[in-house]
Amino acid sequence: MATLSLSFIYPFTASVGAPRIAAIERPGSQPMGPPDAVDEQRAVLRAALDALLEIQTPGEVRELDFPWPEDVRVRLAPRPLPPITQAIKRRPWLFLSFLKRKFPDRVVSEG
Amino acid sequence: MASSVDPYRFIDRFSKRVARSWSALEPERAIPWTPLSKPLSECTVSLISSAALVLRGDRPFDQQGERDDPWWGDPSHRVIPRSATSDEVACHHLHIHTAAAEQDLNCVLPIHRLVELEEAGFIGRAATSHYSFMGYQPRDQELLARTVPAIIEQLRAEQVDAVLLVPV
Repeated sequence: MATLSLSFIYPFTASVGAPRIAAIERPGSQPMGPPDAVDEQRAVLRAALDALLEIQTPGEVRELDFPWPEDVRVRLAPRPLPPITQAIKRRPWLFLSFLKRKFPDRVVSEG
Repeated sequence: MASSVDPYRFIDRFSKRVARSWSALEPERAIPWTPLSKPLSECTVSLISSAALVLRGDRPFDQQGERDDPWWGDPSHRVIPRSATSDEVACHHLHIHTAAAEQDLNCVLPIHRLVELEEAGFIGRAATSHYSFMGYQPRDQELLARTVPAIIEQLRAEQVDAVLLVPV
C-alpha cells in the first residue's frame, strides 16, 4: 500500500522515516480544517492525495499551501493539561528523562 | 524540502522541545517505499487518524490508564466505518482540544470528504473501514507489535491501495 502522512510537525514525521509527507500549517486539533469548512477540508484532502500520487522520492516533503489565516483565532475552550504535562509540572526533574525517552516502568497515580 | 510551513506555530514550548528532542533520537534508517500501483481514480483509499476516535458505544480508549500512568498511552485501535456520522464518534485524546473533532469528524478524519471524492470520480473508492488510535505513545512497543499489524491485515483484507495518515 502506498502511504502519505499529513503533518503539521513535519520534521518529527520525517524523522521516523515516513515515505511521503504533506506539510500543512494547522492546529493539531484541526489538521484538515475547521469544523464545517467543507470546501477547505475537501481541498486539503485532494491536495494530499495529489501529493501521494506525485511524490516519487522516498521521504519527500510536499508543502501544502493552505495557510491558517493570521486573523482567525483558534477559538478553543480551556482544557485540562495532558497528564504528562501535569506530572512534569509536579516533578520537573523528570522532564530531561522524558526528552531522552527514558521512561519509568510505572508511575503510580498521584491522584 | 518545505520552507514556508511553520511546523511549530500551533504547539506549545513543551511540545516543541519534545518534538525536537525525540526527532534527534531517531536513528538513520532506510525509508520504506511502495509505489502507487494504479491511478487514483482506480484506487481504494483508507484513512488513519491518531485522534483516538471511537464509535459511541464501542470500547473507549483508556484515558484513566493514562491519567494513572502519564508515561503511557492506550496502544489499541478502533475501526470507524465510512458510514459513521460526527454524532456517532467521540474523541478520547487527552492532548488536543476535542470539541472540533466531535462537532465535525472531518476535521481529523475526513471520511465524508473522501466519499465525495469517490462520487466525483477522483478516487476509485473510499474504503469500508477507517482507523484511529491514540497518538500519544511514549512506549510504542505494543502499538508497533500488535496494533499496526492488525490494521495492516484489515487494510489488505479490504484491498486498500492507498492510505492517508492524519496525525493530530
